[in-house]
Amino acid sequence: MVSALVMLTVVLATGWLIWFSRDIEARAVGARSVGAAAAAVLALWLGMVIFYAPIEQVQGIVQKIFYVHIPAIIPTYLGFALTAVGGVGFLRTRDDRWDQLAIAGAEVGVVFCSLMLIVGPIWAKPVWGHWWVWDLRLTSTLILWFIYVAYLFLRGLAFGSDAAKTFTSVYGIVGTAAIPFVYFAVDLAQGSTMHPSNPAREGLPAEMGRTAGAGLVAFVLVFAWLAARRMEVAALEARELRTNAGASA
Amino acid sequence: MSYLLCAYAVTAIVLVGYALRLRAARAALLRSSSRRS
Repeated sequence: MVSALVMLTVVLATGWLIWFSRDIEARAVGARSVGAAAAAVLALWLGMVIFYAPIEQVQGIVQKIFYVHIPAIIPTYLGFALTAVGGVGFLRTRDDRWDQLAIAGAEVGVVFCSLMLIVGPIWAKPVWGHWWVWDLRLTSTLILWFIYVAYLFLRGLAFGSDAAKTFTSVYGIVGTAAIPFVYFAVDLAQGSTMHPSNPAREGLPAEMGRTAGAGLVAFVLVFAWLAARRMEVAALEARELRTNAGASA
Repeated sequence: MSYLLCAYAVTAIVLVGYALRLRAARAALLRSSSRRS
């Protein structure tokens, strides 16, 4: 039930973001509704973290850090997947709106990936005794983060040029190949990783599962809202660039 | 407890900080385009 709700939110958010990218100015009002929904679910999730989710017996209260760490995973993957979708769309049509979807996915994906990489060690220190270990899951996630930070740097270096858009579209498509590797890193490591296995297959107690599910829904909605705002900014930047080019011609 | 509070504070700072950065960027672009017109 919880997994189905999370999946439904992911599918709806993805569909809505692609639909939104087609006509950003006319559909900007819808972004406010998504923002309001995100705020409401965030409040529910926070209430569940504080009052509903039990304190885990072995790890104690620090286990509740998981309710931030786990929900940040899906927006990370979703952002990078949207970068690939935008890249394919741009290469096929040369339509800037696809490029705006790609940049929004990459940037907001990096925000959530950074959050995951910061919050994970805050949990690891009291539980493992180390902030960081160079195991397969952690290292591959860090590499994924570097891949998309490099994408953003490349975009920044050649702002607005067509060649840069083409190159980064290809780069964004190729970059998604790292996602399944990161996701299955714990299985690939065959027991030689300290990172817990993927929670969906672990069978969490009901209260913990529902709280993590609420967090996943909330973070996907926050992701959708932020990505929509980022697309608005990208559209305004493109308009500014066109105006400047027209003025200097 | 301090680790827990730190994790949630970092989350709030990252998400709210990024949202504010987007808002500022959007406002600056809108100002620039209205000045031109």
